[in-house]
This record gives sequence, C-alpha cells and structure tokens, in this order.
Amino acid sequence: MRIVVAEDLYLLRDGMVRLLESFGHEVVATAATGPETLDALLKLRPDVSVVDVRMPPTQSDEGLRAALAARREVPGLPVLILSQHVEQLYARELLADGSGGIGYLLKDSVFDAGQFVDALGRVAGGGTAMDPAVIAKLLAGGTTNRRLDRLSEREHSVLGLMAEGLSNQAIARRLFLSDSAISKYTTSLFGKLGITDDDNSNRRVLAVLAYLNDG
Amino acid sequence: MGRMVSWCAEAGRGFWRACVVMVVSMLVPAVWGAAVALTVWWGNPWAGMAPFVFACLGTFALSRPVCQVFRGLVRRWTGTVVPAGYREAGPVTRMSTGYWWNGVSYARTAEEAREDQELRNRWTDPATWRDLRFTAIVPVTAGLVAAVPAAGLVVAGVGFARATPVAALGLVVAVAAAPYAWRPVVPVTVRFLGASPSMRLADRVDELTAQRADTTIAQAAEIRRIERDLHDGAQARLVALGMSLATAEKLMDTDPGQAKTLLREARAGATTSLAELRDLVRGISPPVLTERGLVDAVRAMALDSPLSVTVEAGAPPRLDPPIESAVYFGVAELLTNAAKHAHATAVRISLAHDGAALVAEVEDDGRGGAGVRPGGGLEGLRRRLAVFDGTLEISSPADGPTLARMMVPCESS
Repeated sequence: MRIVVAEDLYLLRDGMVRLLESFGHEVVATAATGPETLDALLKLRPDVSVVDVRMPPTQSDEGLRAALAARREVPGLPVLILSQHVEQLYARELLADGSGGIGYLLKDSVFDAGQFVDALGRVAGGGTAMDPAVIAKLLAGGTTNRRLDRLSEREHSVLGLMAEGLSNQAIARRLFLSDSAISKYTTSLFGKLGITDDDNSNRRVLAVLAYLNDG
Repeated sequence: MGRMVSWCAEAGRGFWRACVVMVVSMLVPAVWGAAVALTVWWGNPWAGMAPFVFACLGTFALSRPVCQVFRGLVRRWTGTVVPAGYREAGPVTRMSTGYWWNGVSYARTAEEAREDQELRNRWTDPATWRDLRFTAIVPVTAGLVAAVPAAGLVVAGVGFARATPVAALGLVVAVAAAPYAWRPVVPVTVRFLGASPSMRLADRVDELTAQRADTTIAQAAEIRRIERDLHDGAQARLVALGMSLATAEKLMDTDPGQAKTLLREARAGATTSLAELRDLVRGISPPVLTERGLVDAVRAMALDSPLSVTVEAGAPPRLDPPIESAVYFGVAELLTNAAKHAHATAVRISLAHDGAALVAEVEDDGRGGAGVRPGGGLEGLRRRLAVFDGTLEISSPADGPTLARMMVPCESS
C-alpha cells in the first residue's frame, strides 16, 4: 500500500514509518503540519494515510481538519486518524459524511502492530476502524435509547465489534463462536434495530452509528 | 375606586414612614434641646457645662445606632443596601503574664481589653466621623421634610379646636405630603452614609487578598496531585517496564517463552501508563478544550455523560483560556452534581456571550435542594469563579429543578 504519515513528533513519525515498512508497505510521504498534510493527501492520493489530530502550526485539531478537508475534496479518501485521546465528538464528525474509509484509533493501538496494520488495511479497503473506547462510549451513551435495550448481552457485544469495523469472520474469531452463529446474531439485531441487512461491513457500521446518532 | 384605595394605602404608609423618619432623626437634636432647656431653666450659664458634656456624650453614643436604624429602614423600604463598613475589632489574646493584649494595650481582664479596644476603635474609625456628620445633617434635611405631614396634622388639630380655616389648610398639607415626605431619607442616606471610595477600596483589597490566597492554595494542591499521580503511576510503571525489558533481553536466548511473556507484560504496562497519563492530562486540561474551545468541549462532555444532555450554544467566540477552563470545569462539576446528588435524568446546558459576560446555565430535572455551603463543592466553584470576578447563582427548591447560573465578565477575543 502507498501510505502518507502525518505526525509532528519526529520520534513517532520515524517509528511509524519503520513499523509500516517492516510490514512491507511503502511510505510515499510524511507531513509534520496541517497544511503539509492536506497538500500530500490531495497531490499523492495515497491508498491510506495515518494522521495525528493535533499538529502545528496551531497545535489544535489541524490534522483532523486537514483530513476532513481532503475528504470533502476527494470523497472516501481513506484516512486513519491516530490520536493521543479519542472523543465521541470527533468520531461523529468523521463518520458524518457517510462514506467509508475512515479509522479513528488511540495511539496505543500501534502496540499490537499486527492488529493495527489489519485496521489500516480495512480502512484502505473502504471499511472502518473505530477505537473500542469510542464504541463503548457510544453504546453506553445510548442507554436512554429504548431499542438498544432490547438487545441481548451477546447481541450487544456483536454490535460493538461490528461498529469497530470487524467482519463477521473476525467477530467470530474474537468471540470464539462460529461464523453462522454470528450471522444469526447480526440478522436478529438488525431486525431489532430495524436496519435492513447488507453484506458490506462499512455500511453496517455506518448504519449502527447513524442509528446511535439519532438516539 | 381601586386607585383611590391604593392611594389611601400609600398615603397611610407614607405617613407612618415619615413619622418614623422624623422621630429617629430628631433623637440627637432632642438631646441638645433638653440640654439647652436645662441650662435656660437653671438660669446660670456655668451650670450649662454639665448638660453640654452630657449632650456631647449622648450624641457620640447615639450616632451609630441612629445610622444603623437609617440603613435598616432604607433597606427595608427600598431594598437599597447601604453597607455599614465599620472597622472590625481584632482578637484579644492572653499573654503568658496573665494579662490580656488587644493589639495596643494590656488589660487585667479580657473584658477590659475588649472595652478598651472598642473605644479606641470607635475613636479612630473614619466611619464614626461619617456617622456624626450624618446625624448632624439628617435632621435638617430628611427630618424636616418628614415632619411636614405630622406638623400639618397638628395644625389641623389645633385649627379645629379653635374653629379657624387654617385647619383645612393643615389637613390638605398633611394628606398631600404624606406619600412623599419620607422619601428624601433615601438619597440623603445613600449620599452621606454610602461607602466612601477608600472604604470600597479597602473592601476590594480584602476580597482580592482572600481570592489570591484561595488560588494559591488550590494551585499548590493541584501541583501536588499531579506530582503524586506521576510519581506513583506513570513513572513507577515506566521503571517496571524498563526492568521487564532488561529481563526479557537477558532471557531471550536461554528461555524465549518466558521472554515473550515478559514482553507481552511490558506492552500491557505501557498501555496502562498511557491510559493513566491520558486521564491525568484530561484532569489538567481536557484535549478538546485545548483543540476546539469551550463550546465543543462542553458538547464532548455532554456526549460522554450518562445523562441525556442537551447543549444550547451560539457561534462561540474564543475566550481567555483560564476563563474557558474555569467555566468548563464548573459545568463538569454541575453535571456531576446533577447525576450524583440530584439524581437527574435530563440536563440542559446553555452557553451564551452577551458581549460583556459569558453566561453558562446548567439546569437539571433532579430533586433539588442544592446550596452553597461552607466547604462544599459549590462554595469551591463560587470561589474559583470569583477569581475572575465571576458569580454563581443557584436556584434549587427542595423538589427541584436545580438551575445553576455562572456568569464571568469577559471580552471576547
């Protein structure tokens, strides 16, 4: 994959490049500020980019803004936002345009390099990768939502993993269940939530999150 | 008809108030009148010395109560608060010799020391001289005017007894003046008993000193907390991490399985210390507040809250970071209170800037009964806002709902 890495701290940028190259990916450019990031994204159109939220010159949410601006220009441009903290507010902004290819993970997630690169691949393929912390908060915040209360505990955890962006097979592996059991759960929880089923994992996540946004 | 009745009620109340003002303002002149009368009655100018001395002492003793009564009356009738601003007496302490020290002199008993101090205080307090000036001014200004209705009534009474037409005139004057005669007392009191610039300055200095002390203490406590959290948490974990890595390095060749376990543990430790640092940072300055400002930070807080929270806010101007931070943590505290103490289910937060002040309101549907108590959380919040000359108002009847209103004067930048 052709990847752009946008991160202002040299140590982290360097480490990220080395990590990605060790998995056989090509880092086509690095950026250290918001404007540089936007430039690189629009000029190089990488397969996926890894972007830090907070960057110079303002040390505010420059990276996030650059990613959102780039996606306005090129809808569906795959971006994985990597941040020191995850916020529901930002997650909602990222998902708001409804096109896939979005990830939002804590920087800690690079500790499990295999899973991190998996997530990156998912985002590059038009899927999503949401941090479990965000998903947990989204689901917890929806407790006032009646329809969510109807889900069984197992369906709840399947919904959570689905919202993180995992496929049925991956969910099955995580929960130590068979694929067919998972598709049974997903069918029943879609029914309970009133969402028409679709094989595209990206649309499933967006449906879930859109539903939670409504609630 | 209704207007007639209300006018009569107004006249009656005015008459009563005028009488009160007249009596109180004439107390000191009455003392002097008595002294002069005594002197005249005795017929010997030298005998006037004693009544003169007594009148002086009487004036001195009466001035403060009279002024306090006027302050009370004005506050009761018009709601205008005229601060007293008398000097407070300092503490009286017992020395090792057994004598009592009041800051200036020794006395045999605590009571003597206190009395001595009080007298000294009365003598040196600028407020005493202001009171004396007021007792001299008020009889000829407010006192004379207040006497008009009563005088009119007396004239009417005497006139009727002698059956002269002056009686009707007196009655008219009394009735016409009744609703208005007491009013001059308000401007006179405000003008001559109101706080002098130096008094106001002294109050402000006291207030600022107290605020500075609060801020310093709060800051020191915060720094200690951060230091402790770093020392016991992240730092210790990083040391453990280093040790695990060193051990793993050593075991790599001899026992790869064990080394792998250690490496996995080390990774978990790094994750935990990151989480701790994140919480710590959030407690010092929430990331969204830094990145986006107050309104989005409050929106993010609302999303994270277990309650159903609605946020109303217009296009937000960025304010000074310390003010944003104070208001943010204020809203956070009120939101926590709503969940924890008020058992609320829904909360409405509104943020508005009216050009001169930032107004933040937090209203819940809980059981109410919240109040600012000494040492309580709301008292702490009030103090933190006071540093910016901000205010906190709480309206929380026993059955709810609770409405908290924070107002911080600030120019938007």
